[in-house]
Amino acid sequence: MLWISVLLPHLPVDLREPAPSRALAVTAGIGPHRCLLACNAAARSAGMTAGMDVPAALMREPALELIQRSKADERRALHGLACWAHQFTSDVCLDLARWTLWLEAGASLRYFNGLHTLHAQLKEGLTRLGYTASIGVGPTLEAAAVLSRHRDVLPALNFRELRRVLAPLPLSSLLLQRAVLEQLQTSGLCTIGDLLGVAQASIGRRFGVELTHYLQRLLGERPDPRRRHRMPPLYRRRLDFAQPLEVLEGLLFPLRRLLQEFQGYLRGRDVAVQRLTVTLQHRNSPDTTLQLLTSAPQRDAQRLFALLREKLERTALPQAITRIILTAQDFVAPQIIQGDFFDDHARRDDSWTALLDKLRARLGPDAVRRLGLRDDHRPENAWCIAAEDQADLTAACNHPADGPSAACLPDRPLWLLQPTPLASLPLLLGTPERIEAGWWEGEDASRDYYLARTAEGARWWLYREVGTKRWFLQGLWA
Amino acid sequence: MPPTLCAIDELLRDSPQLWRGRQLAALPARATGFAALDAQLPGAGWPIGALIEIAPACAGLGELSLLLPALQRCCEEGRSIAFVRPPYTPYAPALARCGLPLPRLLWIAAARDEDAHWAAEQLLREGAAAVLLWSPIMADRALRRLQLAAEAGQACAFLYRTPAQLRSSSPAALRLALSPAEDGVQVRIVKARGGHASGPVTLSLHTPFT
Repeated sequence: MLWISVLLPHLPVDLREPAPSRALAVTAGIGPHRCLLACNAAARSAGMTAGMDVPAALMREPALELIQRSKADERRALHGLACWAHQFTSDVCLDLARWTLWLEAGASLRYFNGLHTLHAQLKEGLTRLGYTASIGVGPTLEAAAVLSRHRDVLPALNFRELRRVLAPLPLSSLLLQRAVLEQLQTSGLCTIGDLLGVAQASIGRRFGVELTHYLQRLLGERPDPRRRHRMPPLYRRRLDFAQPLEVLEGLLFPLRRLLQEFQGYLRGRDVAVQRLTVTLQHRNSPDTTLQLLTSAPQRDAQRLFALLREKLERTALPQAITRIILTAQDFVAPQIIQGDFFDDHARRDDSWTALLDKLRARLGPDAVRRLGLRDDHRPENAWCIAAEDQADLTAACNHPADGPSAACLPDRPLWLLQPTPLASLPLLLGTPERIEAGWWEGEDASRDYYLARTAEGARWWLYREVGTKRWFLQGLWA
Repeated sequence: MPPTLCAIDELLRDSPQLWRGRQLAALPARATGFAALDAQLPGAGWPIGALIEIAPACAGLGELSLLLPALQRCCEEGRSIAFVRPPYTPYAPALARCGLPLPRLLWIAAARDEDAHWAAEQLLREGAAAVLLWSPIMADRALRRLQLAAEAGQACAFLYRTPAQLRSSSPAALRLALSPAEDGVQVRIVKARGGHASGPVTLSLHTPFT
């Protein structure tokens, strides 16, 4: 086993993006015990560190913006991140209290073409999600966690390397209680190597069996069973905004982040979606719900984002947005486009369906229509708007005889009009065609259709209701 | 003709460096399906990757039938065709009868004119073989955008306009005025890039009137 540990040292502030240029810190505790939990880059460069008292921090930086910690937000973020991480491995563990995530990489190294590539991909993905992360690699969970606290440490790929890599690191990198750490330091132990040099039995006697167990887990001498993170069968991700978003632009960044995460989840499960719901909540108004329906299974965050953006720009928001919820429940097998050296047909089809989605997102789902035939003698009922189904397109083209066959169709004009009453008659030509239908539905149509030519030279198709003198224009031979 | 003159004539005809006033440029084009019209057009057909303006004197004189042979060819190639904001319902039984596979046809019913332009541009760029657009646009800029989109997607952009609009200038590669004829339609080439003006052509169309 080879574990990659992802430590998010600034998790609470990372959640408060987009990164403000002014100093911002998230605080924990109340009253006199209130202290800084995490600081953003601007605050860190002003000398703030996690653990600092709030009065002390404000003394140094009066403009420091303080936000109270939300454990629920952190929990949701870590769960979302764990779902995202499943695209790299099926073994993901989570420690909510330590803001740490572990990925088992031993099984997927070959797939990702080595640790280096995997590391780079992971790092890039995390940055795109807006997290500052430090990554450590080791043969046990605890070892990986220790190594992730150091920036310039080489990965430990096996137990022999592990001891060598751990030895020079300070004791403070270990997960120790403060009292224990101080005691060890006063005993003259400075590095992990020093501690590992001491007989385990004597450590156990002086500091309790917990410490020996921890050290054994660190070195892989004791099993370390953990509950694996499981992907939920339905996807639901919620994001709360500390300050309600007034403008649409403010929503784009968090939305992109949500969709990136969602893409990781879809990849991890090897599925795609055709239906996606985004709910925007407001303080005093009913929710705004955006339903996204794509014509082909989709799992590309960029494309989903482009479609949602089109939709959003056409949605009137009643109020500022306090929360955004992304839900998806119907998953389908993805359509993977295989690159073909000689033929880019598949790729073209793919971009075509993406285009149709784009058109639908901007113009409305009913604006993009396909035509179909119906078996009916009444001209206005002989056609319909066909249900959109991309999967059937190729099949339908190969077997066009869906419904009435094209060769048996009567000669009809290319433009159909709503029957328009005519005041004066143009020149009628030829013999009429009698159409009588619909009496079985109570919509009795009994008409004599004529060809006619107007003074301007246009060719019309008109009818007279049998037994009356009322004439209607219904078609143009365009 | 003396033999030396014949030889000179032959030499001139075959030389690719020489362009003569009556000659049509060889542009990429898609056959219209009407031999008489092809003979008048540079490239012998509808120019590919270009904007084509069609101005019928009134609706219902064959303005759509004129395109059908070319549209049918597009469908056979497995590409799609779009009707963007047509003035009336494109009648499915008639289109199917003319040999257009209905699943290849797209009808974009945009509510606003700007949306129709946007949709037409997107379709031209993203792989539609031909886009038929009905729009009252006058702005030169909008026409130019359509022309560019058609170029980018190597598609035919057919824009239906009124005869009055043919009086203003346009970046279109081909501009046609249509007027009624006894058993078909009369086509007058107002402008043809890479060609020259010629007399009107009368094409016969298959309608029950003939």
